[in-house]
Amino acid sequence: MARFHLVGISRNAVLWPALTLAAVVVALPRPVVARAGGTIVGTISTKEPAAKPIRVTIDPDVCGQSVPDESVTVDAAGHLANVVVTVTGVKVPAPVDAAVGNEKCRFAPRVSLLRPAGTVKMLSKDPVLHTMHAAAADGKVLFNVSVPIPNMTLSKPVDKPGVVTLSCSTHTWMRGYLFVTEELSGVSGADGKFRIEGVPAGPRELRVWHEALKVTVPVKVVVKDGETATIDVTMVK
Amino acid sequence: MRYAIVLFCLMLAAPVGAQDRTAPTTIPEMWNAWCARCHGKDGKGKVAEPTVTVVPRDFTECKTAKSEGDPDWELAITKGGPGVGLSSQMPAFGDALKPDQIRGFVEYLRKFCTERGWPDGNLNLPRPIFTEKAFPEDEMIFAPVVSHKKGGGTSWSMATIFERRIGKRFQMELVAPMTSVSNGVSRQTGYGDTELGLKMALNPNATNHLAAFGFDVVIPTGDESRGLSEGAGFEPYVATASAWGTTYLQTQFKLELPKARPWDDKLAVYRMYVGRDLNVSPTGWTVGVELTGENKAASITPQVRKGLSRTGAIAGAIGVQLPINQRSEQGVTWLGFILWEFLETPYFGRR
Repeated sequence: MARFHLVGISRNAVLWPALTLAAVVVALPRPVVARAGGTIVGTISTKEPAAKPIRVTIDPDVCGQSVPDESVTVDAAGHLANVVVTVTGVKVPAPVDAAVGNEKCRFAPRVSLLRPAGTVKMLSKDPVLHTMHAAAADGKVLFNVSVPIPNMTLSKPVDKPGVVTLSCSTHTWMRGYLFVTEELSGVSGADGKFRIEGVPAGPRELRVWHEALKVTVPVKVVVKDGETATIDVTMVK
Repeated sequence: MRYAIVLFCLMLAAPVGAQDRTAPTTIPEMWNAWCARCHGKDGKGKVAEPTVTVVPRDFTECKTAKSEGDPDWELAITKGGPGVGLSSQMPAFGDALKPDQIRGFVEYLRKFCTERGWPDGNLNLPRPIFTEKAFPEDEMIFAPVVSHKKGGGTSWSMATIFERRIGKRFQMELVAPMTSVSNGVSRQTGYGDTELGLKMALNPNATNHLAAFGFDVVIPTGDESRGLSEGAGFEPYVATASAWGTTYLQTQFKLELPKARPWDDKLAVYRMYVGRDLNVSPTGWTVGVELTGENKAASITPQVRKGLSRTGAIAGAIGVQLPINQRSEQGVTWLGFILWEFLETPYFGRR
């Protein structure tokens, strides 16, 4: 009270604007920040057949006579790998750094999660020249660095959200993807399963991304604290 | 038994399959293992199984291999194609190689040019405003000049200069000016005198200093009665270029001999430019100062130059010529140029 008088301002003159401001701030829509909540698990499937292996025309002693075409990676039951599932509007720090290796002339893993302003680390195990050519969704080339020496590690920053396509200037079949997002996400494994923990309770919408396939219906799930919600998704061409 | 253990350990340690490849250690080995994948072992840029869509330059073509300086090539290797405005399909090697290895690659690829007599690209220096380059070029230049004399009027000219390299070391040049002169009372504007020139590098195999001899013929296409022509004439000159890292010295000494009375009305023209690149980049700045003189009139021209396109194939310069003596006769002149290396697209080539 004395303080207000000291500066010659009435108490009400400060109190009401402050309360109004606080009310506005509270009322503004804000992204949900993931805390301890529920878990979403699921399996991604497709009826699309697995892509046929690619015949290797260069460096067969390192790459093999053929390499798997991982653009559609399904097991015998049709479970689809390398699918990113994102909980819309739930922002969390994804892994800051992604590690992508060159192994037998393929990017491993094929799909990695990365937070904007994160760093992708490259490690080549192959004794041939590989490059990591990174292009944003709009085609802008972010970088193309050579990784000619086995066991050499390089790091490059990736600033903006979006899907970054990785390719190699010397092995044309090589593809990889950096899924750069601030939102809570998971990637399906070889068995098509994904798991996303720490999802705030409530009805949630999921975005599902795959490099070649898509979903045709919205994917929604209700999450409860301490419980696991299960959802299975089918993707088509 | 001991031998059996040693043999077993060796078998475990022995690389198999892919690991059979020996890591390249020398520049030729690295070239063959890495660069040859796109550029070819012979540097011609043609390979049986190309993995890039852009056709690399043919390094055996001496005009390509010798036309630019080492810093350009080093930048291309260090930062990849985008570092010099070229294709991103050329990857960056700066994180994988040491600077001395990168210099080694430049030295290696320059040897694909086996013909002698091509001037060294390290002496292809940034163009000063006045001083003629010693290095033969393929350029189109637009050079505006605005001068003002105390008590007189403001005159201007716009010269279009076309330079075309011929063979290893020759260059022809055509200068076509539009001129507007004022004596403070009246103004005359029109086409000026055309210049046709030929230049020849004198010591094309030198590595540190290049000298060239040139001969310009002035064709009196301007109207002399309107003050747009100074009459026919001949202008022999010698130009030199020297480089010490990113610091340059370029000089020119020229005689301007009017056809009518060549020795009585001759003009001795001398020019000396000292410049320095502030950074090694196609879009970088070069600062310099030029000392120029005609007979006893001397002036100094501080100037800056900058690459304007991603590759520096388009560049511009601006400077101001300040008289050192005979101030009222010389006046202050603002001048500059925009140049375009027309054989190089704006996205290809430098200087």
